Amino acid sequence: MKTMTTGSEREPEKLPGGATGITALGLARSFGSVSAVKNIDFHAAPGEVTALIGPNGSGKTTLLLMLASLLRPDAGTIRIHGIDPIKDPRAARARLGWMPDTLGVWEALTSREILVTMGALYGLNKATARIRAGELLEIVNLTELADTPARVLSRGQSQRLSLARALINDPEVLLLDEPASGLDPGARVQLRTLLRQLATSGKTVVISSHVLVELDEMADSAVFLTKGRSVRSQRLDEAGTQGRNYTVTSLDLPALRRALEAGNVDAVYVSNFENVGGDAKVKVAGETQAAALLASLVAAGVPVTAFAPSSGLLEETYLSLEDEMP
Amino acid sequence: MSISTDQRPAGSAPTLGYLSGIGTIFGLEIRQRIRNRGWYIMLGIWFVVVAAVVGLAALSVGVDEFGPGQVMFELVIAFVLFFGMLIAPALSANSITGDRASGTLAILQNTLLTPGQLMWGKWLASWVASLGFLVVTIPLIGWAMTYGDVYLPGAPVLLGMLALELAMVCALGVGVSALANRTLFAVMVTYLLVALLGLGTLIAYGLSMQLVKTEVQISNQVWPEEYMGDEYYGEWDQDAYTCESRVYPQETFATDRITWLLAANPFVVVADAAPRVPPPPGDDEMNSSAGPMGAISDGVRMSQAGPEYLMPCLNGVKSDMTLPTSTPLWPLGLGIQALFVGGIVAAGRNKLKTPAGKLSSGTRIA
Repeated sequence: MKTMTTGSEREPEKLPGGATGITALGLARSFGSVSAVKNIDFHAAPGEVTALIGPNGSGKTTLLLMLASLLRPDAGTIRIHGIDPIKDPRAARARLGWMPDTLGVWEALTSREILVTMGALYGLNKATARIRAGELLEIVNLTELADTPARVLSRGQSQRLSLARALINDPEVLLLDEPASGLDPGARVQLRTLLRQLATSGKTVVISSHVLVELDEMADSAVFLTKGRSVRSQRLDEAGTQGRNYTVTSLDLPALRRALEAGNVDAVYVSNFENVGGDAKVKVAGETQAAALLASLVAAGVPVTAFAPSSGLLEETYLSLEDEMP
Repeated sequence: MSISTDQRPAGSAPTLGYLSGIGTIFGLEIRQRIRNRGWYIMLGIWFVVVAAVVGLAALSVGVDEFGPGQVMFELVIAFVLFFGMLIAPALSANSITGDRASGTLAILQNTLLTPGQLMWGKWLASWVASLGFLVVTIPLIGWAMTYGDVYLPGAPVLLGMLALELAMVCALGVGVSALANRTLFAVMVTYLLVALLGLGTLIAYGLSMQLVKTEVQISNQVWPEEYMGDEYYGEWDQDAYTCESRVYPQETFATDRITWLLAANPFVVVADAAPRVPPPPGDDEMNSSAGPMGAISDGVRMSQAGPEYLMPCLNGVKSDMTLPTSTPLWPLGLGIQALFVGGIVAAGRNKLKTPAGKLSSGTRIA
């Protein structure tokens, strides 16, 4: 993990044909009388990190299981790099890496043995599997624990081992179910960097998580699920054109209020009790407008100490969806 | 550091050979088993128990023309079969449900592995593990061999059939394990199915006796006059009798018609397949076997022969009292077992197919 990817590298290459990545249309799946997935359309492009967002029980794990070729949808079609995982699951699996939300570790085996075994199950020969296992253990920082039984691994360490396992077959499509849960902040940053690198190298990365701020930083696009339906797909680089709430903090709330009212900007004011300072929440149409507003406030001599989006982009969409729900 | 290795050449999907997949699963399973300390403790206790029983047999048998070797050897076989039937379900029935519980089954299913490879590998591992219980008794078998009276043509057949029966029980366990969702349930069902073979066949046989009750006409045996005299000190030849012509009815059971019910019993299969120990010279008694397996074999043959061979005087005619060469029962037994186990294994394999269609309620496949 030597290189941090920069924002400009986030731009996905436009691949011709459109046959790559993941495309799922009209997916439905029920378990007995409980329909976990009712109607989901999903697309994840290669070279991008696609976030899967939704409350508990919205069908994220069920969707990932269907994409991972483990669960047969009742209706709908799936294409993984053009392959139908229902008709030809083995061809799909050769290209898939799946990290489940359960840890799934063989406790008596060492991390290295687990990875070599999994490599063998993907048809790698012993020497290749060994080299690959060594590389992956280094990537997920488990080299020191590589030869101790997996039962001594902490939750976060097992999680990293699970990620390494999902990468053993050098998958073109990576499906990660809550990969960040249980990771310490350092490991989260590493995970983010790793996933960005994988996306940059042309892989299709799908990640489900509850930590929306984190997804903000690594996802290129997001699909929102509620009650088994895909309710919105969003690209994060559209952020510049999307109206958002900003919080402006000033040492002098009356001055801020005068300046905003002079500019005809609607705002909600929250004053501090101990001094004249306070916050104003404003709705801004886009990033350009936000910059202009800040410039005008500074020019008007308002003592601004903070000027930032009120919440993460995904969180805002997520919360607005919850508002829309009946 | 590169995350991806060399770009895979276009069009060549990686493949997993059928045997290599089985081998990998076998390695995965057996490594987990041999790292389990409880396993060695169990083998140790096992050895002590079998050694004690065999040792006592060595002391108490071997007074007459039988050496103790054959009895000791058959005792080891019977013990390993009996305890194998108790241990093998526990070894095999958690193999897939255990993976389900720990979340590793779905990970295996997500590789290039087929359900068949998974089951073969798991079966092979649990079979080898249960054969471990036979392997630790090798010193005891060796001890029995030192007496020199073990019937050598029978020994490899008994050992081979024993291994085959353990393989059957393990296959049953793996099949049930693939079908069940909880380990406890899988172990219990496997025990019940093994009991169905081991005890159920006996119960069915016993209850069917009433259905084959028949009446035969027999008459009394008469031995030569001189045997009855007070001053007769010669050898009493049991076979030197004649039959009275006056017959009377006697109720008996036509066991020859129900012996097939015993066929699927693992003990019967093992005992029946082994060549019979020839009777010691000068002894033409029917029951020439002192060991448990030989006794089972004799019992089955007598049951197959039916009432005609049990009655010394049937319809006023003297029976020659030698057992006819009966048709071997073990091929039928193995056939029944194979169908039974095969059906369960096939159903289990079907359940492991992914993408999964039906899921039983309350289970997650991940």
